[in-house]
Amino acid sequence: MRIYTPPGLAYPITVTKVTCREGEDVKENGALFNYQYRAKREVWDDDVRENVEKELDHRADFESEVEGKVTSLNVQVGQVMNGRVLVAEIEEPCKHEVQFGGMCADCGRDMNTVSYSTTVKNTERATINTVHGHTALLVSQAEASRADEEAKRRLLDSRKLSLVVDLDQTVIQATVDPTVGEWQEDETNPNHDAVKHVRKFQLVDEGLAGRGTWYYIKLRPGLKEFLQIIAQFYELHIYTMATRAYAKEIANIVDPDHKLFADRILSRDENGSMNSKNLKRLFPVDTKMVVIIDDRGDVWSWSPNLVKVYAYDFFVGIGDINSAFLPKQQALEARPKQSAKKEKGGKDVKTSDTPEASSSEAKSDGESSSAASKKSTPASTPLTTNGDVSAVDRMVSMAGKQDEGSLDEKAEEQDKTIAAQLADRPLLQKQKILDAADEEAKASPAAEAAVELLSENGDKRDTPPPEGSKYRHNLLHDDDTELEHLTQSLRNIHQAYFDSYDRDNTTLKSSRVAELRPGHSKKRSIDELEHIPDAAIIMSDMKNRVLAGVHIVFSGVVPLGVDIHNHDLGIWAKSFGANISENIGKRTTHVIASAERRTAKVRQAAKRGGRIAIVNQNWLYACFSQWKRVDEDVYRIHTDATTNGKSGKDLPDGVEGKPYSEVVLSSSEEEAAQTEDETDDSLTTGSKTPNGRLEIDTDVDELEQYAPDDQRKDSSPTEEERDEDWGSIMNEVDEFMGSEADDSDTESVRTATASDGTKTPPSQRKRKRDAVVDGGEASDATDGDGEGDEGESRLQKRKKEALARTTSLTNVANVPSTNGSTPAAEVSVDPGGESKEGGRDDADGEQEEEEDDLEAALAAEMERQSEEDGDAA
Amino acid sequence: MFFVKVLEHRIHLHPSFFGAQASAYILDQLYRDREGSNTGTMMIVAIIDVDDISEPKIVPGSGYAEYDVSFRAIVWRPFRGEVVDGMVSSVVNNGFFVDVGGLSVFVSKAMIPQQLKYTVEGATPSFTDGVDQTVERGSQVRLRIKGIRGEMGQMFAIGSIREDYLGPLLQ
Repeated sequence: MRIYTPPGLAYPITVTKVTCREGEDVKENGALFNYQYRAKREVWDDDVRENVEKELDHRADFESEVEGKVTSLNVQVGQVMNGRVLVAEIEEPCKHEVQFGGMCADCGRDMNTVSYSTTVKNTERATINTVHGHTALLVSQAEASRADEEAKRRLLDSRKLSLVVDLDQTVIQATVDPTVGEWQEDETNPNHDAVKHVRKFQLVDEGLAGRGTWYYIKLRPGLKEFLQIIAQFYELHIYTMATRAYAKEIANIVDPDHKLFADRILSRDENGSMNSKNLKRLFPVDTKMVVIIDDRGDVWSWSPNLVKVYAYDFFVGIGDINSAFLPKQQALEARPKQSAKKEKGGKDVKTSDTPEASSSEAKSDGESSSAASKKSTPASTPLTTNGDVSAVDRMVSMAGKQDEGSLDEKAEEQDKTIAAQLADRPLLQKQKILDAADEEAKASPAAEAAVELLSENGDKRDTPPPEGSKYRHNLLHDDDTELEHLTQSLRNIHQAYFDSYDRDNTTLKSSRVAELRPGHSKKRSIDELEHIPDAAIIMSDMKNRVLAGVHIVFSGVVPLGVDIHNHDLGIWAKSFGANISENIGKRTTHVIASAERRTAKVRQAAKRGGRIAIVNQNWLYACFSQWKRVDEDVYRIHTDATTNGKSGKDLPDGVEGKPYSEVVLSSSEEEAAQTEDETDDSLTTGSKTPNGRLEIDTDVDELEQYAPDDQRKDSSPTEEERDEDWGSIMNEVDEFMGSEADDSDTESVRTATASDGTKTPPSQRKRKRDAVVDGGEASDATDGDGEGDEGESRLQKRKKEALARTTSLTNVANVPSTNGSTPAAEVSVDPGGESKEGGRDDADGEQEEEEDDLEAALAAEMERQSEEDGDAA
Repeated sequence: MFFVKVLEHRIHLHPSFFGAQASAYILDQLYRDREGSNTGTMMIVAIIDVDDISEPKIVPGSGYAEYDVSFRAIVWRPFRGEVVDGMVSSVVNNGFFVDVGGLSVFVSKAMIPQQLKYTVEGATPSFTDGVDQTVERGSQVRLRIKGIRGEMGQMFAIGSIREDYLGPLLQ
C-alpha cells in the first residue's frame, strides 16, 4: 500500500529524521519519519503578563496507517513537503482482499476498526460481491478478476457459455391462488387437465402468522428438455427477484438433482437492488461470455446480453407474483391481459350483436386492451377458420370473458395492493385472491348456465360439456412453444460464439506462435482471454440481421402518451434491427396494429396497397422468438374485414394484396361462373364510362340489380318473398329514388366505384360490396330481373330501419342473417365493424349518412381513383 | 463454548393480558423472544429456569406493564481460537461456508491446506485433494475460529482448516 501525507497536515513540513529503512517491518501506527512545522500558538508572555500568539516550531511523528514491510521510502532528512507527497510503499502481510461479514477472510482481522491515522477504510478494499448465495462475502477487484479469469478458462475448456436464467414467467409461472389446488383435486373440473402437472410447495411467510402459503408452480412446456439440452452448451445460473427460499424450492422442482444449477442461485435477498438486475452482481469483471434469458427487458436496462423471451402466462391474469419488486411498467400491465385477450378477441366476435356494449367496452378497455392484444388473433383465428362461428362459441367466449373480468379485477386489485402495501403484500394479496376466487365461483356457474342456454338455441345442442370445458380451458392454455424456439436461438448463439472464438484463436496463435514460443504460455493464455469474443456483440449482430430493413409504425398498440421509443415493444424491436417511426412514410414496411381497432394509420397504410404489411403484434413476437423474419401472411390483420363486406358492414381501406385476392375469390368464385354477363354489365356501366358515373340512371339500374342481393344476404328471404309483384315494387323504388334524389350523386359514385372496384384492386371498400352484388346478381340472373324490384322495396324498408338506428346497429341487423346463408360472411363479424367507417359503407344505411361523411367518402374515392390511375400509368 | 448464564429480559405486557394469567403470558413471551436468539456475541440455546419475575410497573403514558425477568439459560459463545465442528453449507471458488449452529463461518482459500484444490465435478463444486479429503456441500468439517464478529442478531466468523487435525471429518 502506498502511504501519502494526508492533506490535513500543517504544511510546509520539514523532515527531521527518518525512523525506518527500506526492507524493515513497520507496525501499524509506527513512525516512518519525524518532522517539524511552524504554527502559531498562544504562549504566556511574562513581559505583558498575558498570552500572546507566537510562531513556534513543533515536532511530530508521521505514522504508517498499516503494518507491513517498507519496500520503498521516498523521504530524506531536510526534505520540505508542501502538499500531498508519496512517502513510502508498504507491503502488507494481508491485503484483506476477501472479506466476510466485516472480517478479513485471510487473516481474521476486523475490518471495521479505524484509528486516527486511517485514511482508507479496510472495508473499502473489498466491495465486490461475487458469490451467488451470500452477501456477506466481498472480494477486491483484483481477486474478482482472478476468479473471473479462472472461470472463463474453465468455461472455454468445456466450450460453454454462462446463461443467466430468470424464473418467474420465463421458465415457470407461479401463483398462490388456492383455486389451482382445488382444480387439481377435482378431476371433473375442466381445468384439471391443464393444472394436473402443476407442482406445489409450501413456504412459511412471516406475514401469515406462521401459516404457510401454497405456491403452485407451472413449468413452461418443454422445460425439462430445454434445460437438458441447454446445459450442454451453457453453465446455468438462476437470477430471480423472488426470495431465496422460493428460488430454492423452484430449483428443487426444475432441477431435482442439483446438476444444472447447483448453488448458482441468486435471489433478491442477495441481489442488493430491489428493482433491477445487474450482471455485474454475478460477473463483476466482464460479461463477454454471458447470455441472459428473461421476460423483462427493463430490469436489465436492456442489456445487450439479454435474450428477451415472451412472458409465460399460464395462470391467466396472475402475472409475475414476484413482480412487486420490479418497477412498474407498461409491459407488465399489458402482459396479464394478453391471454386475457384471447377471451376478448372471442368476445368481440360475439358482441357484434350488441355493438354499443362492446364499443363502450372498447373505450373502457382502451389502450391497455389493444396494447395487450397479442394473442387476440390466434384466438379468433381458429374461430373463423373453423368456418362457422356458432352461437355457442360466441357465448363460450363471452363466458370466458366474464370469468376473465374477475381475473382481471384480481390482477388489478393485486396490483393495487402490491403498489400500496409492499411490505405485508402476501397477506393482502392472498385475501384478494380469495375474494376474487369467490367471485369467480359465482361467475362461473352463471356463465355455464348461459352456455347451456345458448347451446340449446344453437345447433350444437349435444355438445355442452365439451363447450363448457372449452370455456374453462380457454382460461388455462398449455400451448406455449417459446422454449423450443429459445433452445434453437441459444444454440445458435453458442455456435456463433465458438465459431468466432475458434476463428480468432487460430489467427491469434498463428500470428503469435513465432514470437512467443518458449515459456510464455501463461502470458499467451491471458492474451487469449482478453481476445475472446464478446457474446453481447455477437448477439447484437445476430439480432440486428433479423429485422434489418424493416421500418415499423405502431398503431393502436402502445398506450397514448407513451413514447414508442421507450416502450418495451419499441426497444425490443429496435434491438432486432428494426427501425421505428411515428408516422407512416415512404420507407415504412410494416404497420403493427391492433386487431380491434382500425386506426387512421392502418387506413393510411392500407391505401398504399400491398407495400405495407399490416400485421398484429404476434408477428413481431414471432420474429423475436424465432430470431428470423417470419412470413407475415399469418399475422395480417384488417384483411378479413374485407370479406365481411358481404354483410354490408365492411370497413374501409383495410385491405392489401393478398386479402384482395381472397376477397375476389370468396365473393365471386361461386357466382362468377353464372353471372359473368351481369358483372360485365356493371363493369361497363361503371368503369367504362367514368364520366357518366354521376348519372342517376345508372345508379338506379344498379341499385335495382343489387338490391335484391343485399336483401337476400341480409335477411335470407324465402322463396315466396321473391315472387312479389314487380310493378308495385318498381313504383316504390321510383318513389324512393325520387325522394333520395338529392343524395343521388354520392350514391351514384358509390355504385359506380363499386362496379369499378371489381376491376381495380385498390378500391377495396367498394369491391367487397360489389362482390356481394355480383353474388346476388348471379342468383338473380337465373330468376329474371323481376326479383330485383322486390328486393328494392325491402331495401327501402331497410333503409328506414337504418335511419332509426345507429350505424353500428345496422350491422347488428345484418349479423344474424349471415349465419345461415354465407359462411364467408361469418367472418364479417368483425370488431372493427362498429366503427363509423363501417357504417358509412353500409349499402343500406348509406343514403342516410350525413352529407359530410359522403363527401369525405367521395373525396377519398376520387383520391384513390387518381392514385390508381397514377399507379397504372 | 457453552455456559450457563443468568440473563435478564424486559417484557412489556399489554393491558388486555392483565389478570391471573399474566405470569403465564410473561413466561410464554420470554421463551418466544429469547430461546434460540442471537445477541451478537452468543446464542441462547435453551432457557433452564426462570429465577425471578419482578413486580410489574405500569409504563406511564402507554398502560403497558413492564416486567423484568431474570432467567438462567444455556448459551453458546464462540471464541477466537476455539475449535468447532460444523456442516458445509456451500462451496465457492474462494472458499467454503460452514454453519456452526447459528454461526456462519467462512473458510477462505488461504485457510485451506494447499493440497485441497477447488474443483467442479459435474455441477458440484468441492475442495478435494483427490485422495481421501473432500469438502463439499453437506460434509462435516472441524475448524478453528480465526476471527469473530457480531452484529445485532447475527455472528460471522472466519475459520481455518490449515492445521493438523482440522478439516473434513471422516465418517
